[in-house]
Amino acid sequence: MTAEEQLSEGQHAIPMEGEDITPKKDGGVLKLVKREGTGTELPMTGDKVFVHYVGTLLDGSHFDSSRDREEKFSFELGKGCVGDQSSLSLGQVIKAWDIGVATMKVGELCQLSCKPEYAYGSAGSPPKIPPNATLVFEVELFEFRGEDITEAEDGGIVRRIITKGQGYSKPNEGASVDVTVVGTCEGRVFDERELKFEVGDGEGLGLPVGVEKAIMAMEQEEEAIFNIKPKYGFGNAGNAKYNIPGGATLHYKIKLTAFEKAKESWEMNTVEKLEQSTIVKDKGTQYFKEGKYKQASVQYKRIVSWLEHESGLSEEDEKNAKALRLAAHLNLAMCFLKLQEPNTVLENCDKALELQASNEKALFRRGEALFSMKEFDRARDDFQQVVQLYPANKAAKSQVSLCQKRIKEQHEKDKLIYGNMFQKFADRDSKKEAETGKSEGKASENDGMEVENGEKEVASEAKV
Amino acid sequence: MATEDQVKDMIHRWQNTPEDDLKPEDYEQFKSLGSASLTQGDGARLMEFLQEEKNQGMVRSMGCVLMAPLLAQVVKKEKSLAHCQAAITHLTTTCRPNQLLHSLLELIEDIDPGAISETVLALVPHLQTVLLQLGDGKAACVGSALSGLQRQLSRLPLPYTRQQEEADEHGLCRGYGALAALARPFVEEVKRRNGDRVATAEEEELRTELLKFCMRSLREPLLEAELNRDSKSSLWLFATEIMLSLPAIQESPSELLFFSPPKKSAQLDVSPAMESRACAAYLLFVQLIGIDSFPAVFSPLFVLQRNMDYISQLLSSKNESHLLKGLALFAKSLERVQDHSLPVSLLELKSFYSAPQNLREVLTDCPMRHLRQSGLQVFQLFIDKLDAEAKHKFFRCMLKTSNHAGVESYIVKNIRNQVEFSMKPGNANNGFLGEELLSLLGLVLCLPQGAGTDLLNSMDRVMEGLNLLRYLLLRDEDLRSTTDVWEKLSGIKDEYLKMLRVCLGISRGYYSAELKALRADRKMKAKEAREAARSSRLIKSMTVKHEEGSNMSPEVQHQVLQSALVTFDLMESLIVRIEEITEEKLKIPN
Repeated sequence: MTAEEQLSEGQHAIPMEGEDITPKKDGGVLKLVKREGTGTELPMTGDKVFVHYVGTLLDGSHFDSSRDREEKFSFELGKGCVGDQSSLSLGQVIKAWDIGVATMKVGELCQLSCKPEYAYGSAGSPPKIPPNATLVFEVELFEFRGEDITEAEDGGIVRRIITKGQGYSKPNEGASVDVTVVGTCEGRVFDERELKFEVGDGEGLGLPVGVEKAIMAMEQEEEAIFNIKPKYGFGNAGNAKYNIPGGATLHYKIKLTAFEKAKESWEMNTVEKLEQSTIVKDKGTQYFKEGKYKQASVQYKRIVSWLEHESGLSEEDEKNAKALRLAAHLNLAMCFLKLQEPNTVLENCDKALELQASNEKALFRRGEALFSMKEFDRARDDFQQVVQLYPANKAAKSQVSLCQKRIKEQHEKDKLIYGNMFQKFADRDSKKEAETGKSEGKASENDGMEVENGEKEVASEAKV
Repeated sequence: MATEDQVKDMIHRWQNTPEDDLKPEDYEQFKSLGSASLTQGDGARLMEFLQEEKNQGMVRSMGCVLMAPLLAQVVKKEKSLAHCQAAITHLTTTCRPNQLLHSLLELIEDIDPGAISETVLALVPHLQTVLLQLGDGKAACVGSALSGLQRQLSRLPLPYTRQQEEADEHGLCRGYGALAALARPFVEEVKRRNGDRVATAEEEELRTELLKFCMRSLREPLLEAELNRDSKSSLWLFATEIMLSLPAIQESPSELLFFSPPKKSAQLDVSPAMESRACAAYLLFVQLIGIDSFPAVFSPLFVLQRNMDYISQLLSSKNESHLLKGLALFAKSLERVQDHSLPVSLLELKSFYSAPQNLREVLTDCPMRHLRQSGLQVFQLFIDKLDAEAKHKFFRCMLKTSNHAGVESYIVKNIRNQVEFSMKPGNANNGFLGEELLSLLGLVLCLPQGAGTDLLNSMDRVMEGLNLLRYLLLRDEDLRSTTDVWEKLSGIKDEYLKMLRVCLGISRGYYSAELKALRADRKMKAKEAREAARSSRLIKSMTVKHEEGSNMSPEVQHQVLQSALVTFDLMESLIVRIEEITEEKLKIPN
């Protein structure tokens, strides 16, 4: 029967016919091409495909049609059949569709006859599809394109999947990944490596940010090609080592061989939590030494999340956990001092002091944070406490005097401001215009003092 | 009050003053004149005056100030109602739409809180006439009119029962009906637009305003409303209207629910947008509103996966209506997937962790019994849909995170069922025999605080654990096949029973002493309460957290203590039974 004849037959009872396209050859999905496509390529797994379809039950009744909605239907092409995993479909649409649409070319019109095992099975899909229904679809493929994986959907990283991966889970920040990367620019391979690293460390290995984003969108054993715009590649600066000019679009073929996600807190036992804490603490310290404070803080925070609510520990574990938490909070305080987030510093110092009242570093760092928030009174109190408890701490001593100096200055400044205010009232009353110039002069004098103090602050930080 | 001559002079002056020369005082005077004639019941004369040919110029300039007093009359349903309506209609066709709109929006803003729905109902038809006359900038005006009206209607109490909804005492249902009618022509306008042509900025803005209106409506009143497919109440009709408006304004529900990228929802705040979408998911999949035009090719697992975010959102609420919707959506989404089919890797998705955790909180902390009951059904349904590996992981997670003996005992019961299932022919590779079982048993058969564990508090879990142990010992043939496992199991068992005996000794001593003290105090009263002791134990299994003894009345304290001792006896006898079985089994094979 020709395609034309089939078309003209209309909506009467539909015979199931066509080529069996299931991998298992069980006759579950039959395909009958009604009009050949014009394209040469087939869509790949993960591509976004755009189709029109009319869905019909075997008795000829329509149950669903995108043409009636006057809107093309689009979805991400899934893998369809997954080995022997019963009738479980990992895709967005029923299994018959993933199998069927993957065989279509652009412009093609075909009929897919789908047995219930490849559609809605014994449950059906109320209210439209009864249990154990065989469904017949007429599908027309209009377009397909790679999937844009950027959050902003700016087309900056587009993926074409060569081999679909397994499962649902994807590497997260900090996950350890095994990958093969092949970077190409204008047909020239500039980087070809097998790597094992933790997501977040890619920059140090010469991987652009887009590659890490790409990896975080991948599943285990997936292999895919990513088209990366300069924004997510080497930007306008390019990359000298790889001889990449500025503003170049990159192609990366990446295979995610394996990865290990960080375990959820509840999945770890105490021993694991303590072990991991020690490991990430060292890692955090390494980052800190390299000046990567943000990354360091991420590591320290993991310790807190693991150990903060851990209860029922043996005496020795309790001691270790406490020590690790204390260290984590103290280091977090230091990180956030560097990152100039004094409020977070305060939080962490308070936590540290809960664990160990009168901890020298906690008091000192809290003092520093308060100092940067211009809370000189409270800062002085902290530094003074350090001096009392640890007389050898010279830095604290000099901080106390610095605080006192600042408090005095603040006083004078306030006096100046309020003094000026009264002066201004007086001026207005007596309408002496000449005074204005004088008060402006005083203001600029104040600016001068700021700078001087700023220098001193830098000097004192260097000492610590 | 001005004399009649003064009034005549004024009117004469207005008739001959060009609009630009009119002062604010003139508008004031015009308004007070109009209001005065209305309060005197002279609607007919006012109408006549407004329609007089020579007055058209001034009416055109100043007429809109009369909108407020005229509508007030309409709301009060005074005798000159018909004249007032006619006057308003005349004004809406004579005055400038922009000015009219301005005064109408002001009116909405300053609505009388005692007559919200009346005012809305009186105002909406005229507002629609005015909006339809607007040219440029219409979209923004439609937006502010809709949001203004919604804000006022949201102050009205929502009907709770069906009777209340039918009576519609506060006019909320009629109000939303009027609102839907107001939006209708604009929805039609967007729908009519030719899809091939790129929308102008104005068209796009109108679409956005209508979308915002729909999203707001989904959150309020629909998320709060009690909806029922069998009684197509007025709110149900409103829900239908909103759900059908979405595809009409080119916002297909499938895109909105399943593929909406974050930047799109940035137009609205994230959490309200989530709530609105959650409500849309509920209306679509539970109430089946709009399901006819929803694509019927999505895989059930995909639908579940996407809905899980909404379920999690709804179950995180403390609001009865949100929880009901969340539970219903959860159940409906699960029903479509096959039993034992959800793979373990799904549990790694954030929503597949948070939704069951939120559900667990409903079970343990929600004060409403009917929610706890249907929650438990959904909880079991979820377990049934997991495959063996996923069940295993979920059980571990619940045992470690729930901190609630009731939930724990429920999980232990499920573990027993799974072991039983695995022992049936053909199901052996189920992950509930062998090593995997041991890791679970380790979690089940342990006393968190060792010998100091409060047995009364963890009674449900202990009893269920002992039952499981007894069951396993009776079915030893299946487990002995791997000697290693059997040995370890015996090890865990011995360790547990030993600890439990110590713990029982301590607990029994403590509670007996307490009971003795209490008896001495309240000998008489205690007797009466004894009867009820057993039943209270049964109820407690799934109720709100165990209360401190000190907060209870002496009678209840007595009951609790008494039942504790009864339970300890039960535990004791179970331990003895388990030991007997162990010994019997030892005799047979050797």
